[in-house]
Amino acid sequence: MNAYGLMAVFETPADAMHAAERVRDAGYSKWDVHTPFPVHGLDAAMGISNSKVGWFTFIGGATGYTTGMIMIWWMNAFDYKIVIGGKPMFSPFYAFPVSYELTILFASFGSLIGMALLNRLPRLHHPLLRNRRFCQGASHDKFILVIETADPKFNADETRKLLASAGSKHIEMVED
Amino acid sequence: MIALFAIALLGNGALAAEHAKTEAKTVQTADAHHGHTHGPAGHPTTAKQFGYAYLTAYMFCLSLCLGALFIVILNHLFDAQWMIPIRRFLEHIACLLFPTMFILWIPIGYLAVDIYPWMSIDPDYDHALHAKAILFNKPAFYGVSCLLFLVWGFIAHGLRSASLAQDKDGAASHTRTMRRYAAGGIFLFAFSLTGAAIYWMKSLQHQFFSTMYGVVYFAGSVWVTAITTYWLLLYFKNRGDLKDVAREVTFHDCGKLFFAFTVFYAYIHFSQYFLIWNAAVPEETFWYVLRENGTWKWVGQLTIFGHFWFPFIFLLPIHRKLNFQAMSMMTGWAWLCHYMDLQFNIGPVLYPDGLSVGIYDVLSLGGILAVLIFMFSRAFNAHPPYPQRDPRIAEAMGVYVEPASSKAAH
Repeated sequence: MNAYGLMAVFETPADAMHAAERVRDAGYSKWDVHTPFPVHGLDAAMGISNSKVGWFTFIGGATGYTTGMIMIWWMNAFDYKIVIGGKPMFSPFYAFPVSYELTILFASFGSLIGMALLNRLPRLHHPLLRNRRFCQGASHDKFILVIETADPKFNADETRKLLASAGSKHIEMVED
Repeated sequence: MIALFAIALLGNGALAAEHAKTEAKTVQTADAHHGHTHGPAGHPTTAKQFGYAYLTAYMFCLSLCLGALFIVILNHLFDAQWMIPIRRFLEHIACLLFPTMFILWIPIGYLAVDIYPWMSIDPDYDHALHAKAILFNKPAFYGVSCLLFLVWGFIAHGLRSASLAQDKDGAASHTRTMRRYAAGGIFLFAFSLTGAAIYWMKSLQHQFFSTMYGVVYFAGSVWVTAITTYWLLLYFKNRGDLKDVAREVTFHDCGKLFFAFTVFYAYIHFSQYFLIWNAAVPEETFWYVLRENGTWKWVGQLTIFGHFWFPFIFLLPIHRKLNFQAMSMMTGWAWLCHYMDLQFNIGPVLYPDGLSVGIYDVLSLGGILAVLIFMFSRAFNAHPPYPQRDPRIAEAMGVYVEPASSKAAH
C-alpha cells in the first residue's frame, strides 16, 4: 500500500479558502480542494489560472465552420453540381446556416473532450474514493484539502504541520 | 476560413452586381414612370443634404438612448444584481428621450418632406404606397412620432422617479413599481422602437419589406450602448463616482453583454439578408442591390467584418474583456461601425453612387451629442451616482449581509 496523499478536513468554506491560500503560497503543485458546493474565489485562492478548455472549444468551432463550408461547396458546387432557384453554385450565404450549426456542434464536442482530457477522465478508480471520511464529508458538509505525496515539495512532517497550522482538526494519510 | 468567406462574398457580389444592373434599371424606369425621381442625380438640395446628415446623427444618438432604456428594463425584468452600478447613469440617458430627444426631433419633422420621398408621391400612382397608405400618410407620421416620445417618456421617467424615490426612503415598494413599469414597458418598448425604425429610417424606401428591420435597429442599438456603458462605467470609476460599486466582475459582465449583442446583431442582420437573398423577390432585393453600388459595398463589408468578425474574435478570451485600454478603443470602433451601419441604411437613398460624409454630418452628430452630453451631465451630477438603497446593492458591491431572519434565529 502506497500513501496517496495527506488529507485535511475543514469545517467551513472560509477555513478551506485560507488553508488553500497558504498551500498555494508554500509552492505546492499537486493538490486539490474538494467541497460539497462551488465556492466562489476558491480558484484564485488556489492560484489556478483560467481554464484551457476554451481553446478546445475554439478549435472545435473553427473546425465545424470549415467543415460546413467545405462540405456544402463539395456537394453542391463540385461533386454533383446542381442549380437551385437560379442561385450560384456556391455561396457562403446558403452554406452559413449549416456551417453555423456545425460550429456549435463541434465546439460543444471540443468543450466536452477538452474537459475530459484536462481532467484525465474517464477513470475507473481514485484512491480518495476508498476513504470513508472523504466520501461522507466532501459531498455533504466538509471542505477537504488533499496534497499528493507525488508533489515534489511533499514532506510528511512539514506538510502535516502546514495543514495543522492552517486550522484543520483532522489530518490523515490516505492510502492508495 | 474568413478569407474563404470574403473571397466567396466578393465573387458573389460580382454576380449580384450583374443582377443589380438590370434590376436597378427596372426600378429606375418604374420610378421615372411615376415621376418621383429626387431631382437630377448628384445634385441633392441643401435641405436634403442637411436632412439626411441630421437624420443619421439623430438615429445614432437615439440608439444610445433606446439602448439605455432597454438595459434598465432588463435590470428589473431579470432582477439582476450586476446591473445596479450601471443603472443610474443609464436611467439618465433613457430620460433624455423625453423631452430632449423630442425637441431634437423637430428638425426631422420640419424637413420630413425633403427627407422622405413618399411624402411627395400621390398614393394613387404608386402601388406600394397605396398598399401602405394606412401607415404612410402625414397625419399618421406626425401622430405616431409624437406618441413614440410620450411612450418613451412615460417608461423612462416612471422608472427613474421610482429609482430616485427609493434613494430617499429605501422602500421595497419602489422596486415593485419599477418591475411593473419594466414588465409592461418591454412590450411598449418593442412596438415603439419598431415604429421609430420603420417611420424614420425604413420609410426612406417605402417599397421595402422586411419584418426584421426593427429588430436589426434594436440589436445594433443595444450593441453600441453596451460598449458605451462599459466605457462610462470606467470613466465614472476613474472619476470616483462609481469606485465603490464598479468591480472587476461588473466590467466582465458589461463585456459579456456587448459580446452577446455582437453575435445577436450578426444573427439578426444575417437573417434579414439571407431571407431576402434566398427569396429573391424584387420588392425586397432592390434595397440591398442599391447598397452594393460604389463605396456602399465597402460599408457593407465593414458591417460584416468590423461589426461582427473583429469584435467576435477579439473578445473571445476573458482577459480582453477586462483590458480597459482595449475596451476603450473598442468603444470608438463600435461607434464608427454603428454610425456606418446607419449611413448604410439612410445614405444610399440620397447618394446612390457611394458613401458621402460631409460637414453637415460632422456638425449634426457633434451638435446633437453636445446637447445630450450637457443634459446628461446635469442630471448625473444632480443625483446620487448609483441606486443607494436598492435591495441588491450590497450584493452588487460584493458584500455579504446576513438576512434579518437568520439573525433572529440565532
